[in-house]
Amino acid sequence: MGPHHPSTHGVCRFLLTMDGEVVVKAVPYIGYLHRALEKICENRTYPQCLPILDRFEYCTSMSCEYAFCLATEKLAGIQAPERAEYLRVIMLELNRIASHLIWFGTTSLDLGAITPFLYGFREREDILDLFEMTCGQRLTYNYIRIGGVSRDVPPEFIPKAKEFLDKFPAKIEDYVKLLNENPIWMIRNQNVGILPREMALSYGDSGPVLRASGIKFDIRKDDPYSIYDRFDFNIPTGKVGDCYDRYLLRIEEMRQSSRIVRQALEQLPSGEIKTKVSANFKPPKGEVYSRIENSRGEMGIYIQSPGDSKKPLRVKMRGGSYNHLQVMPEIVKGGKIADLVAVMASMDIIMPEVDR
Amino acid sequence: MDRTELTKYLLDRFSDKLQLLDTGKAEPVFILKAENLLEFCRTIKADDTLAIDFLCNIAAVDTGDLFEIVYSVASTKNRIRFDFKITMPYENAEIDSIQEFWAGANWHEREVWELFGINIRNHGNLTRFLLPDDWNQGFPMRKNWDAPDFVRMPEL
Repeated sequence: MGPHHPSTHGVCRFLLTMDGEVVVKAVPYIGYLHRALEKICENRTYPQCLPILDRFEYCTSMSCEYAFCLATEKLAGIQAPERAEYLRVIMLELNRIASHLIWFGTTSLDLGAITPFLYGFREREDILDLFEMTCGQRLTYNYIRIGGVSRDVPPEFIPKAKEFLDKFPAKIEDYVKLLNENPIWMIRNQNVGILPREMALSYGDSGPVLRASGIKFDIRKDDPYSIYDRFDFNIPTGKVGDCYDRYLLRIEEMRQSSRIVRQALEQLPSGEIKTKVSANFKPPKGEVYSRIENSRGEMGIYIQSPGDSKKPLRVKMRGGSYNHLQVMPEIVKGGKIADLVAVMASMDIIMPEVDR
Repeated sequence: MDRTELTKYLLDRFSDKLQLLDTGKAEPVFILKAENLLEFCRTIKADDTLAIDFLCNIAAVDTGDLFEIVYSVASTKNRIRFDFKITMPYENAEIDSIQEFWAGANWHEREVWELFGINIRNHGNLTRFLLPDDWNQGFPMRKNWDAPDFVRMPEL
């Protein structure tokens, strides 16, 4: 299957050994989107790396930028101003919702439902409009910078964002009404692609996939970064660990993310948005691995700085999909080939994050 | 367990095998000898105080005269996260696979082998996956790697 199969979420190839309709063995082949981002980053100054990081996982570019900035800030001991931290959280959570909406749309499309796709992209459009009015971009933002954010939000941003948050819960209810008890949706998802919790941990799966398997672990709560400890939100978990649990969990995460955005908008302080950081700054010698909770799981950036250079010695990017794809052969074994499509969709695998 | 307690606990437990690196305020980084890798992994996974059940990342680093392999591990139960690394010379660089503890190490190690040319013992599946199947230009993540269309930015 693949590399250009319409449901493979990017270019990924599966070498399948079949017994009729049943998958006996599945071997994923990756690397079609390998752009050597890590090598490119070694050849650039820290601020120049940020646009490259945008391309690491383009459904949630804000998270990638933030993960890199967080690692660099830890390395150099930079503290972003209060208002910048709030703006970052607002953008990160809006981006999480946008990413989950893409997942919602494409997953339904993979399983044969076209309406949810249009619904998901309709709401995502509102979020992209908010991003566009803030930084002029709709996909690769280059908004979060080392020491702050690139510019303040325009005055019309806050009313627009509140308007979106007011209407969004009703939209989620629409999605739920459309799919939750839809017989086809239930047959295609329930008890399909069950990922046991021990296996999920052993394979390093994180984020919604890990939580759907029943492990309550969210880096925003368990290894808090930025100002996430100031907000009130819940971490949903699943019981069975099948595709249906992963679906319910992401829907709930969208609700929780909108709660965070609303709180952040209400508490948003005024003040500076950027600590002055020289474009040619050299972080002290050291190394750091810092991780954040992305919509696809743990996004970690490892940076090693040689101390006397404007360029990092090594940047390693770790994305959630890398581990999700790795566990797939285990859980699709013995299922139907159509289930493989459902599992891949529910894992929310995105290939640029795997290949880098 | 906070950073100081964790550091103290690990250093007490593995007194002669572990060495702490000074990295400022971030999570602690330790240096470990290659021959102790498997034993160390087994212990931190089984130890109830640590309960390291999650392998975050494996990053190989070419420092210019040495290879380093940095393992980032965490616990989902105990709010613990730390890194440990192993250094090795350029010639015959080799390391044991840690898949028996965390199966997710497979692809990370495969990548280390493919991009840096560090051999992984007992891996079982060392085949190309990020680079093209017919790749014959060496190990691109090494610092001394060169290609006709690869331009290094000068140190300003």
